[in-house]
Amino acid sequence: MRRIFSQARKELTQLVRDRLALALALVLPLILLFLLSTAISLTVHNLPLVIQDLDDSSASRRFADAFRASISFHVVSWPPDRKPEDALTANRARGVVIIPRDFARDLARGQNTQVQLLVDATDSNTARIVQGYVNQIARAFNQASGAMAGAMLVGAQVRLWYNPGRDSPKFYSPGIFVMGISMFPALLAALSMAKEGEQKTILQVYVSSISAHEFLLGKILAYMVIAACEWVLAMISLLTIFGLHIAGDPTPLLIGSLLYAFCVASFGTFVGAGIPNQAAAIQTVALGGFLLVFLLSGLIFPVENIPAGLRWLSNIVWGRYYIEIVRDALLQGGGWPAMWFPVLMIAVLGALFYALAWRTMRRMQVNA
Amino acid sequence: MSRLRALMRKEFNQIRRDKRMAVSLIIPPTLQLLLFGFALDSTVSHLRLGVIDWSQTPESRELVSTLTESKSFQLGGAYASVQALEAAISRGKLDAGIVVPYQFAHDLRRGTPIDVQILLNAANANTATIAQGYAEGVILSYNQTLATEGIRPAIRAVGNAPPDRRGMVSTLTAFLYNPGLVNAWFIVTGTFGVLLILNGSLLAATAMVKERERGTVEQLLMTPASTTDIVIAKIAPLFVLLMVMATLAIGVMRLIFDVPIRGSVVLLALSAGLCILSGIGIGTVVATFTKSAQQAMMTAFFINPPLSVLSGSLTPVEAMPSWMQPITWLNPIRHFGIIARATLMKGSGIDVLWPNFLALIGFTVLLVSLSIWRFRKQLG
Repeated sequence: MRRIFSQARKELTQLVRDRLALALALVLPLILLFLLSTAISLTVHNLPLVIQDLDDSSASRRFADAFRASISFHVVSWPPDRKPEDALTANRARGVVIIPRDFARDLARGQNTQVQLLVDATDSNTARIVQGYVNQIARAFNQASGAMAGAMLVGAQVRLWYNPGRDSPKFYSPGIFVMGISMFPALLAALSMAKEGEQKTILQVYVSSISAHEFLLGKILAYMVIAACEWVLAMISLLTIFGLHIAGDPTPLLIGSLLYAFCVASFGTFVGAGIPNQAAAIQTVALGGFLLVFLLSGLIFPVENIPAGLRWLSNIVWGRYYIEIVRDALLQGGGWPAMWFPVLMIAVLGALFYALAWRTMRRMQVNA
Repeated sequence: MSRLRALMRKEFNQIRRDKRMAVSLIIPPTLQLLLFGFALDSTVSHLRLGVIDWSQTPESRELVSTLTESKSFQLGGAYASVQALEAAISRGKLDAGIVVPYQFAHDLRRGTPIDVQILLNAANANTATIAQGYAEGVILSYNQTLATEGIRPAIRAVGNAPPDRRGMVSTLTAFLYNPGLVNAWFIVTGTFGVLLILNGSLLAATAMVKERERGTVEQLLMTPASTTDIVIAKIAPLFVLLMVMATLAIGVMRLIFDVPIRGSVVLLALSAGLCILSGIGIGTVVATFTKSAQQAMMTAFFINPPLSVLSGSLTPVEAMPSWMQPITWLNPIRHFGIIARATLMKGSGIDVLWPNFLALIGFTVLLVSLSIWRFRKQLG
């Protein structure tokens, strides 16, 4: 036990002396959290829209004004003698609304009329949102003009739970938080382990009285401390700046976080032991910690949308389970009934990485 | 000129012997493009809908099945109480819920307007926005069916429009350039620019640092070549390698993701070349500030995330806070992304893309001269 602690203390002393590494461990996760959480969002607003009014009546102008008044769009002018599609190819607008001639006359006669909406679908998600916004505005226009009277027997009262303002940072910031914790402690652990192999200081460890388990646990403990510091700093910013709060029972989060710190530190140590080359170890951890967690964990886009051939991979991505735990603790508050499985999976994956690191280390000893 | 040629031959030979570099340049980017294209999909479909039907009538079941028969929702189970539904949504078993009130059919037959409640898990803001649009659209079309056909004669009677009713406005949407709304097209065209810049900078940084790590820079300096010659000779083979990678990436986009090529390939290739040069410039500048390959890579962790996120390549720029949006214009990836999407999908030409093209030229000139200046200063 004492040897584990002295090994951990030695690691931390080494780390504190390397200023670039320390910045990487504590400052960069916070910068990333602020930057990515504010920048990553899919809910577009204030989109440029062109309105071509072929009717030019008071009714059509009222319809166009409904778009001017909405915060979802801002209307840009486009010369009426140019093709409306050109506004899209020239990147001047994301959509074009074309109000047909006889718009006002049809409405006054009680006839239904259709306006055409052209959407730039190069970004399919934004295109869907544009369509939804335009339909909502048209519906509001119908309601205001009294056309809906008698026609809308069934109304929908939509309630948005957990995040009524549809605030994107609330959803993405827990994910970015997980990404930071997944990447940097693992990166530093891998670097320090790879350095031992590269500079052959591992031989000193072999001749000393410390056992492989003690050595590994000491290293892992040190990087768990780093992860914990990062966790506290980032959690404080989540709770203060992004206005999140702990919903429900915090014990799954606390126990899950402890296990997760062990899991990522073991992963880093395993990579470092397996690849005794610092540059290659960095690349591998970046691939595992960043790419897999970023792509296959439901950080931005739902896991269910990944094609089945790739989706099974996400079952072994450790970050995915931790994202579930953090989102649940900060948004939904499902507690243990919802979260026992992710916590268990993190423990299993952590134990797996530890066993792999131990095995690789024993093999290294034989080679050395 | 012959000096430059000799130096270039040396660099090309060096790269040809470094098989690992060529492999690491071809395989990871292709893999990344495939992974990003396949894994990042924001389509909202098959949301699990929990149902509380207190009406238990043909009318209410009709409404529920209209919702669940659409591609957007699927039946997630029936619940007896709001508490049970709430617990299921909170545990993540359901994405949405609908509550049909007891007097639903009764009011419908009498022609009294009635509301149903739809609950959405809005933790994911994007899913909630799109799901709300879907749900309202389905309810609207349910109303229209009620008004025109009516599931019962009694409803048809009240559904008939009063004579003085005003006409309704409906929209007819045409999705241009990507009528199938394939999300991968957006992702791969964006990832393309990110790959060019990131790989360019990483490759250049390691190549430049390697010379210094081994202490061979002094040998280069003793040759009669000028520093500009040295830098150009270093850049040229990297540029060629990265152009091969870019061609490969265009091939993957065309053949695997079926991204159309509607505009000029020459314009796209020229912009890709400029993008690569900017990336190499960034990498060279980073290399002059660091002592080892490991440090250069760690510095890349500070530079790459802001470059790739503030580019609009994976998420739309219009979704960023408005103070952040102008910053993206300082990012070469943003301009390249616009050019790539416009030439590939929209078929736009240089007549509308010239501002972005000019901006790319500006960045390239700036970054390459900055890197030559830094390199010279460091050697001096």
